[in-house]
Amino acid sequence: MRIVAAGAALSTLLPFRAVDSARADDGKKRVVASTGQVGDLARIIGGEHVDVKALMGPGVDPHLFKASEGDIIDLIESDIIMYSGLHLEGGLGEVLEQASKRIAVSQVSDGVPVDQLIQPEDDAFDGNPDPHFWFDPTLWADAAGEAARALGELDPDHATDYLANLEVYTGQLNDLDAYAAEQFGQIPERSRILVTAHDAFGYLGRRYSLDVVGLQGISTATEAGVRDVQNIADLLVANEVRSIFVETSVPQRTIEAVQVASRDRGWEVAIGASLYSDAMGDDGTNEGTYLGMMKYDIDTIVAGLSGETPT
Amino acid sequence: MTPLAQLSLDITWDATLRNVILGSMILGLTSGVLGTFAVLRRQSLIGDALAHAALPGICIMFMITGTRSSELLLLGGALSGLVGTLVLLAVTRWSFVKQETALGLVLSVFFGFGILLLTRIQHSGNSAQSGLDRFIFGQAATILPRDVAVMGIVAAVAIGVVILLFKELKVVTFDPAFAASIGMRPDLLGVVLAGLLVLAVMIGLQTVGVILMVSLLIAPAVAARQWTTSLAGMVILSGIFGMASGVAGSVISSLVDRLPTGPMIVIAASIIVIFSLLLAPQRGVLATYRVRRSRARRFRAELALTDHHGVSRT
Amino acid sequence: MTQATLTNVQTVPPLAKSVIEVRDLTVAYNESPVLWDLDLDIEPGKATAIVGPNGAGKSTLLKAILGLVPIAAGATRVYGAHLDTVRNRVAYIPQRGTVDWDFPTTALDVVTMGRYGRIGWFRRPGKADRAIAEECLAKVGMSGFAKRQISQLSGGQQQRVFLARALAQEADLYLMDEPFVGVDAVTERAIVELLHAVRDAGNTVVAVHHDLESVPAYFDNVVLLNVRLVAAGPVASVFTEENLRRTYHAPANPIGADGTTTTVRAGSEMAPVKAMLR
Repeated sequence: MRIVAAGAALSTLLPFRAVDSARADDGKKRVVASTGQVGDLARIIGGEHVDVKALMGPGVDPHLFKASEGDIIDLIESDIIMYSGLHLEGGLGEVLEQASKRIAVSQVSDGVPVDQLIQPEDDAFDGNPDPHFWFDPTLWADAAGEAARALGELDPDHATDYLANLEVYTGQLNDLDAYAAEQFGQIPERSRILVTAHDAFGYLGRRYSLDVVGLQGISTATEAGVRDVQNIADLLVANEVRSIFVETSVPQRTIEAVQVASRDRGWEVAIGASLYSDAMGDDGTNEGTYLGMMKYDIDTIVAGLSGETPT
Repeated sequence: MTPLAQLSLDITWDATLRNVILGSMILGLTSGVLGTFAVLRRQSLIGDALAHAALPGICIMFMITGTRSSELLLLGGALSGLVGTLVLLAVTRWSFVKQETALGLVLSVFFGFGILLLTRIQHSGNSAQSGLDRFIFGQAATILPRDVAVMGIVAAVAIGVVILLFKELKVVTFDPAFAASIGMRPDLLGVVLAGLLVLAVMIGLQTVGVILMVSLLIAPAVAARQWTTSLAGMVILSGIFGMASGVAGSVISSLVDRLPTGPMIVIAASIIVIFSLLLAPQRGVLATYRVRRSRARRFRAELALTDHHGVSRT
Repeated sequence: MTQATLTNVQTVPPLAKSVIEVRDLTVAYNESPVLWDLDLDIEPGKATAIVGPNGAGKSTLLKAILGLVPIAAGATRVYGAHLDTVRNRVAYIPQRGTVDWDFPTTALDVVTMGRYGRIGWFRRPGKADRAIAEECLAKVGMSGFAKRQISQLSGGQQQRVFLARALAQEADLYLMDEPFVGVDAVTERAIVELLHAVRDAGNTVVAVHHDLESVPAYFDNVVLLNVRLVAAGPVASVFTEENLRRTYHAPANPIGADGTTTTVRAGSEMAPVKAMLR
């Protein structure tokens, strides 16, 4: 209902766009990004030439986000809309489709080679590829490439700056990748099992050889059964996994149930600190950037699984 | 080991299954007992209305405290659920709006307001907010020992009140005007019942979610009505049906992978309802059909007889 | 209440000891009043009918006496006291159609509810209460139906159960709302006999009644009501053609929504009067 209404609002407002948005006086391109990650990416690649607004604030679940009227206005008045794609922004689908008819649009996941995407097992993600590709920094570098290309196309005058920013950022992502590989390598091999309530970490697991076990099914909207809880408890006990993780987007009690189940089997599992999954940390904090968020997640997982006191 | 033996072993030794079975059993019992009165008072959807009316309270509590402590949020939800109920009772009593309409009104107005607040919170830039909207989808598979304890207390209070006030609740539900004429207080007892429902629904919301809670309030009572001729019988049977649904749903979902517990409980309750509607001795569809057919046969036989003898009847 | 309004109302002089006293009673559900400035006394030991067209406020009058509807102005007293202090002396039989007869309970159980007022809060009906209930069920000729589901009773049987419940209250004053609606002739006769027996035992009966023809046979007194009180007193003196015409002709609503008075109610409402006067 809301999406339809938003779509309708968009199409009625579009003709007035030229009148409403007197060209930005500072000459900066206005970028509207869907998620915090994409917003961060646009800021880094665009640098001083762009003015970025992320629609989804800290802690918002992109699967469930729906645009408000104010968001629609922001979209209409932008020069380019950048979003993650692969159906991550489920509730924005129609709005983005409408907007793409008038405004430049960049789906940063287009930069990722198709063969690098994790294809769904059975009915996960409605048969679409896993959209959480940013948990593999090398794929995020691909997305950064797409962002630089799109911005360069929109604003050819500064295209070289965007490419320069991309080069710097790719270097930082490579460093992050190396850091992650080194950190995860410290964990005993059979304990490299990441249990979370949300299957956002498939790419992280593939890149760094972690077994990722999701309790709550594949999306935040599915429900777990008794058997699912028991299976995971069995797995934890058998592999002596020390910590399980509750990311910020998921009710803590789901994970607590697993904890109780394994305690019953004589194995104490600590609840690791919250991980960031779909959403990033508050603006202005270190975890409010992609690099900071990733480093936080990596450190938290490693600390938890290697038996250090969870932070 | 046979699957059955394994199961009995699981129930005894497996904490998860034990918690889930105990929790959904107690919740089923409470809902069955309270649902009987809701159904007989033609307030089947009150659970639904309450669950929706809780949303603004949850949001406001979050905006004030900024916590995700579910106990505090629940308190907010319970408060606004209670306000919703009082509005409902007041609207029904003091205006010409019909009860079902008033239910729909409260449900949509409160929920709409809740969604409005939720949208505000979503734009507030506080990362702790995520998951707040999913508060309304509790999971039966993750019932914790402390949930079982809270449910037990709520069940004890609810059942205690129903036992203590059984005679009063009966007469007020059956004939409120007469009840008022002998000095009972239909309005007061209505608030007491609604209060108990608020308690049960809030606990249910957090642990098993809206849909399961709503169906547990309606289905066992509807099924029980088919089998019994007394209110006490209906209350007891409805409680038993509620418990049975809880146990059956939990056990089934523990036997097979990827079978969500809550929906299994709903399915179990639905099967009991369908079975009852079809097969109950007096009120079942089959029984009604059989009575009608035998009556028709008797009439036909009598008609044939009179025709044959040419006797004029009457 | 002003004397001016009293002049066109014919009232018997207040009795020394009225069972029910109604003074200046006005009841309104919304803008238009249902009862307007009513003064009335009910004589003890008599059977009184409340008669009037649809929407005249007959049921509302009973409910106002029982405190079941909010009163806009005026007061009612029962046995010279506030109702709360004499509740156990009053039995009320609501219209049969106002309850859900599919409620899971038996005839005897409904009759036992008549004891609830005397038992008081929290306590359960005992053996004595059950015995009284059975006795009352016998009085209405329904002994054989004690364990019967109320949904399986005919309309007349349901009305008898209601009557038995009132008897179980062991009251002195019986307020009945349309006790003869939808019952068969046999039940009607049984109810009338019972009603007279109750009266003859010294109790007072007040019944909202629809059938004008049977008023003289069934009742001692009559109250003619059409939002305002038209007339009240012994059937012989009050139940006249003139009074009936005024009852059924008078505007149901003294003050219309637009401030004008209305005279719509003639037509079909007059049919029973005409039939009766023929």
